[in-house]
Amino acid sequence: MFWMNIFCDECKKNIATVFLTKISGNEVSRVQLCEECEKRMEETTEAANLIAFLPHIISGMQGMDEQIVDDVLSSELITCEFCGTSFNDFQKIGFLGCSQCFEAFGEALENVIQDFQEAGEHLGKMPRKISETAMLRKKLLELERHLERQIAEEEYESAAAVRDQIREIETRIETEGKERER
Amino acid sequence: MSASETAGAGINWMVKKGPGYPLVLSCRARLARNLEGLPFPSAADEEDLERARGMVLEAVSRRVAGEKEWDIKFAEEVSRDELELMAEEHLTSPAFGEKTSGRALAVRWRDSRSVVVNEEDHVRIQSILPGAQFMKAWKIADKIDSQLESEVQYCFDQKLGYLTSCPSNVGTGLRVSGMLHLPALSITGEIARTIAALGQAGIYVRGLYGEGSGVAGNLFQIANRKTLGNTEEGIVSHIEMITRQVVDKERTARKMMLRESPLELADRVFRALGIIERARRIGFYEALELLSLVKLGVETEIIPIKDFSMMEIVVGICPYHIRGILGGEAEDEDVDAERAPGLRRLLGL
Repeated sequence: MFWMNIFCDECKKNIATVFLTKISGNEVSRVQLCEECEKRMEETTEAANLIAFLPHIISGMQGMDEQIVDDVLSSELITCEFCGTSFNDFQKIGFLGCSQCFEAFGEALENVIQDFQEAGEHLGKMPRKISETAMLRKKLLELERHLERQIAEEEYESAAAVRDQIREIETRIETEGKERER
Repeated sequence: MSASETAGAGINWMVKKGPGYPLVLSCRARLARNLEGLPFPSAADEEDLERARGMVLEAVSRRVAGEKEWDIKFAEEVSRDELELMAEEHLTSPAFGEKTSGRALAVRWRDSRSVVVNEEDHVRIQSILPGAQFMKAWKIADKIDSQLESEVQYCFDQKLGYLTSCPSNVGTGLRVSGMLHLPALSITGEIARTIAALGQAGIYVRGLYGEGSGVAGNLFQIANRKTLGNTEEGIVSHIEMITRQVVDKERTARKMMLRESPLELADRVFRALGIIERARRIGFYEALELLSLVKLGVETEIIPIKDFSMMEIVVGICPYHIRGILGGEAEDEDVDAERAPGLRRLLGL
């Protein structure tokens, strides 16, 4: 079943002492090498790793119509004003320069993210400060709806109380926003 | 701590046998975060890197490292040997030591929790545990994350979640991985089908040192590919479920080998043991391959030697750990020559 050939797959002369399983995408191959060939291959791997990133970007462009491809190509020229990284730089090195790049690169980056993540919305943890504001906004929305109902039903006394609650929450959201800016 | 003192100090996760299910040697959870208002490390100048480092380390000192067990190291001040040792112990990625300026590592050696500063992202929080304790590893990293977040402002977007330098990490920034030893799936060739199926299920399969590393010693690291569009608990549960399925496949493959070709299996594992017992020099990758077969032989009760912790030995025979024993400027040949008796010692042969 196993354990047959003892020679190096590369030079076919020396006895293989290194056994490697290679994974590229979902393809798996097994190679056995002698020490010499293994060392030589190790040196070329680094360059190969860099090249391996490119198909992700290119596959993001496949299947799009010409107009979109044109848009993506012209987007290479877009540069983030905050950090100076261009979309072209990102395609070359695979790293974004700062949080503003996400906005600057717009749809072209959205396509790349879609290609990697196959999903659009964050469902996980939120920073506590942001989630507090998000909760306040939700509460605000509820109160505003409540207020509309009360006015429609002419319950002016309790509506005034709700209005005060709304004002209080608006102030809290504003203060937290300022704190975050600081 | 000096380089020689730190060697092996963070390897509790390798020595201990973790709870969970067998064949999962270790597990890891990693969170990627960046600071608002500063360019990411790849686009930052020295001054910005210095600022980011100062902010993260101050937050670590104030909120995380209160217990004083944490060790903080500036990468520029760490020797080349120690950087390599830390990568061999999986505390940092092999890329960490390639460029040291502005980088730092905060680590609690006792249980391998760490915060890496200014590598690919401003902050990388990591927890490694023995066995299959995925949920616990994530909870440890998550707690550190919340502690840091009370001091610093992270880049966050309501729709995309935590913003990271590489789009492959946006959202939760969470990568959960398990180190699996799968010799029977490799030998029977079944691993190819398994990896293809894992790819379909959104799981990456990589080698011992993660991204870009080849597989050796039948050690496979599996991790979630997607970080966006699922909750943290959802990602962890998915990896747990997948790991359990892969472990079941490996067990089935072992049973099949024992049933259908017991002589071939015994021959192969004993040949591996024979080489380890007699070799006078041995390369790292050859050693991994032989070690994997011997471990298979021990676990299938073919080889009557004492069971051993795979990861402890894998790390113990890494080039810089051997160099640590030899001291000074050891040549590759000296390292290979020392590895042969070193491996026997570690196995108690």
